[in-house]
Amino acid sequence: MNEKLALSDEILLSIQKPERYIGGEVNSVIKDLSDIKIRFAFCFPDVYEIGMSHLGIQILYGMFNEYDDVWCERVYSPWDDLDKVMRRDNIPLFALESQDPVKDFDFLGFTLQYEMCYTNILQVLDLSGIPIYSKDRTWDDPIVIGGGPCTYNPEPIADFFDIFYIGEGETQYRALFDLYEKAKESGMSREDFLINCSKLPGLYIPSLYDISYNQDGTVSAITPLNGAPSVIHKELEKDLSNAYYPMKPVMPFIKVTQDRVVMEVMRGCIRGCRFCQAGQLYRPLRERDVNKLKEYAITLLKNTGYEEISLSSLSTSDYTHLDELLDFLIDYCNEHKVNISLPSLRIDAFSLDVMSKVQDVKKSSLTFAPEAGTQRMRNVINKGLTEEDILRGSHEAFEGGWNKVKLYFMLGLPGETTEDIEGIGDIANKIAVEYFETVPKEKRNGRTIEITASTSFFVPKPFTPFQWASMNTKDEFLEKANITRKGIMSQLNQKHIKYNWHEADASMLEGILARGDRRLSDVIYNVYKRGCIFDAWSEYFKNDIWMEEMEKAGLDPMFYVKRERTKDEILPWDMINCGVTKEFLWREWERSKEGVVSPNCRQSCMGCGGASYGVGICFEPKINN
Amino acid sequence: MIKLRMKFKKHGPIRFLGHLDVMRYVQKAIRRAEIDIKYSEGYSPHQILSFAQPLSVGSTTDGDYMDMTLISCNSPEEVMYKLNGVMNEGIEITGVSVLPEKSENAMTSVAAAEYIISFRDGKAPSFDISKTMEAFMSNDHVMAVKKTKNGEKEIDIKPLIYIWEVIDNNKIHVLLSAGSAANLKAALLIDSIYKFAEEEMKEFAPVFHRLDTYLAGDDDNGHYVQPMIMDAVREDSFSVRDGVKEGKIYV
Repeated sequence: MNEKLALSDEILLSIQKPERYIGGEVNSVIKDLSDIKIRFAFCFPDVYEIGMSHLGIQILYGMFNEYDDVWCERVYSPWDDLDKVMRRDNIPLFALESQDPVKDFDFLGFTLQYEMCYTNILQVLDLSGIPIYSKDRTWDDPIVIGGGPCTYNPEPIADFFDIFYIGEGETQYRALFDLYEKAKESGMSREDFLINCSKLPGLYIPSLYDISYNQDGTVSAITPLNGAPSVIHKELEKDLSNAYYPMKPVMPFIKVTQDRVVMEVMRGCIRGCRFCQAGQLYRPLRERDVNKLKEYAITLLKNTGYEEISLSSLSTSDYTHLDELLDFLIDYCNEHKVNISLPSLRIDAFSLDVMSKVQDVKKSSLTFAPEAGTQRMRNVINKGLTEEDILRGSHEAFEGGWNKVKLYFMLGLPGETTEDIEGIGDIANKIAVEYFETVPKEKRNGRTIEITASTSFFVPKPFTPFQWASMNTKDEFLEKANITRKGIMSQLNQKHIKYNWHEADASMLEGILARGDRRLSDVIYNVYKRGCIFDAWSEYFKNDIWMEEMEKAGLDPMFYVKRERTKDEILPWDMINCGVTKEFLWREWERSKEGVVSPNCRQSCMGCGGASYGVGICFEPKINN
Repeated sequence: MIKLRMKFKKHGPIRFLGHLDVMRYVQKAIRRAEIDIKYSEGYSPHQILSFAQPLSVGSTTDGDYMDMTLISCNSPEEVMYKLNGVMNEGIEITGVSVLPEKSENAMTSVAAAEYIISFRDGKAPSFDISKTMEAFMSNDHVMAVKKTKNGEKEIDIKPLIYIWEVIDNNKIHVLLSAGSAANLKAALLIDSIYKFAEEEMKEFAPVFHRLDTYLAGDDDNGHYVQPMIMDAVREDSFSVRDGVKEGKIYV
């Protein structure tokens, strides 16, 4: 136990949730500094409760701490109240375990899960006393490294990072640490160290690339310097079943978003929904061995004492041995008073049977994500779910006693028509009709159907077939939300349907940052200087400041958002290769325009390029159905 | 079925946990230690576990208590060792006793609590603590405003202060009435002393350390309070002073 605290009692007693900052959580790791060569501060740039719910950090935290020469600690964004106190009293940001200043560490790693966290990166650098721009750093500062989905287009934050790690963290960190230790021993300059890093697979050193632009603002050339590679290939864990998995995850004292054992059953997705970035980034699909997962579940529950376990993946229904795993878990968990949480399960007879065994049917709700209101539109986005699937699943669920349904849709998908939007209300209404037809009045016991339809605004992401697509503007979005609302209001069963929609301003900024280029780095710094942090939190998001700073920098939001890209355009992220080829994505973009559905990886191979990794679904026999 | 009462101390950074988070922490420790605790019936079963007298965030303790109902155990001591084996965060079980099956739970049996109140560096009062306490306690009535759910209420706190002393002229050591019948928070006592001395208290000046929590009883000598478990009672507690038998303090 570490008794030291970086913050005084007076501060801890005057802020919300001091438990966010005291460290010392169950399974957190304390090491003796005299044995350590590398101190790694791992940051999720958002509030503690969000960051502590992230599986990726738990995996790398555990893996790094298995290394004798490395001590990995955690850092999160201080919440607004503490942020103000730290600035007022000049308190340097500290890592939770040792409570030592982050500035004294060898590495500061950020996991970049969503674009709206970018100003929080600057908050963490600033509070730590680390220069914001990579070019201003010396060996007195940690090496600042970023990983996670946003690094597939890291350009808007390129100026702030020394290194981006492209791909899955399991593979190259040991090599990076070895290189760092050698560099330190040999007295190598920081610049030379970074040049050497560029020779390691998967490491993108943004300072080693010169970006030039055309008159119209598009990229004219990406020029590697000092022998850096012209393309950086995604790193991928080829043997997931035998890869490191943390058996002692750190357990927060306070309730966090993911307050349970999280067990990743597989990585990647066979589905190829055209709007989905994760579905492309983590290809090819690799499953974990089912017997290993059974062992993991028991060990994880024993080592944590959690009352709940969640199976995690992009589409858990597609896990080959799901029946076997669930049979085992239901037995074990019933005996040990453990709940099983099953996000992202396709609703069918099998999943309903499982859910009825592990949940209170009366309290839980069914979730469908049709994503679009008509079959035509669902074909455009390659979302396999049909209206028939939804109504059949609902019918079976209503027979099983469920009466709450959640529906998720996107507005602003490429080629969307008014008919597609109005289809949202139609499908919700049909579910209500299905309920009334399935459950006769005398069996309703005073309960009735409750449907919640939610829409989010579609944001095109790099490395998806829609990376070339035009995104809707705020006005278009709001009009579409209005059409959706009216469409629902006009339904016979409208009083059973609740409608929620997301804010449009935040989606616009997400769109700018997702497909942005390096010229946005200065804008991000300027909005940060004007007080923007926690942009992902609607109560802190200040859209006006962002728009003002874009204008001052001479950058047009519509250039990033509205403009449909051409096939020959150099995209800002073209130095990154995620395994899926640009040719494949373009083919999918063309097919989407024709409304042609593509089969999933288990049915047949579309030649995405993922097979180049030599593992996973690409090498399994195809099943035609 | 066996009902156990456990005494625990809490020190170090974990003092910043709220009461509910301490409970959640212990619930998970019980599961890690594989204690055969009884669960309630129903869809979301919870452990049969209750805590005595919540402690305010930031305070430390040598004598807090929880009761738990077990389906089975080899010995009460083994439960204590197993729990301590999975807790390394600043909470430690220091004593255990078996309760009769129909006993009141920890929460409802609390009758008094003993504290040492000190002051953070540079935040001690400017008044002389010993003299102020003498004068404060020499009044027949000591009125204080207590905040309740239904607003504010003026009460006489003097009868709720069972024993007091000042140590080294910088710490106040008190035994205060506690529990559902008549609860005097140590913080309210300190506020009242400052008010009496007509001094503005510096923010976050007092540091509260609980020495022990007491239950009440009656015998031939009258009404008494006594630490809920006599194990691991600190030497400087009123309950081990000369003349006190079995920790009984007659009030």
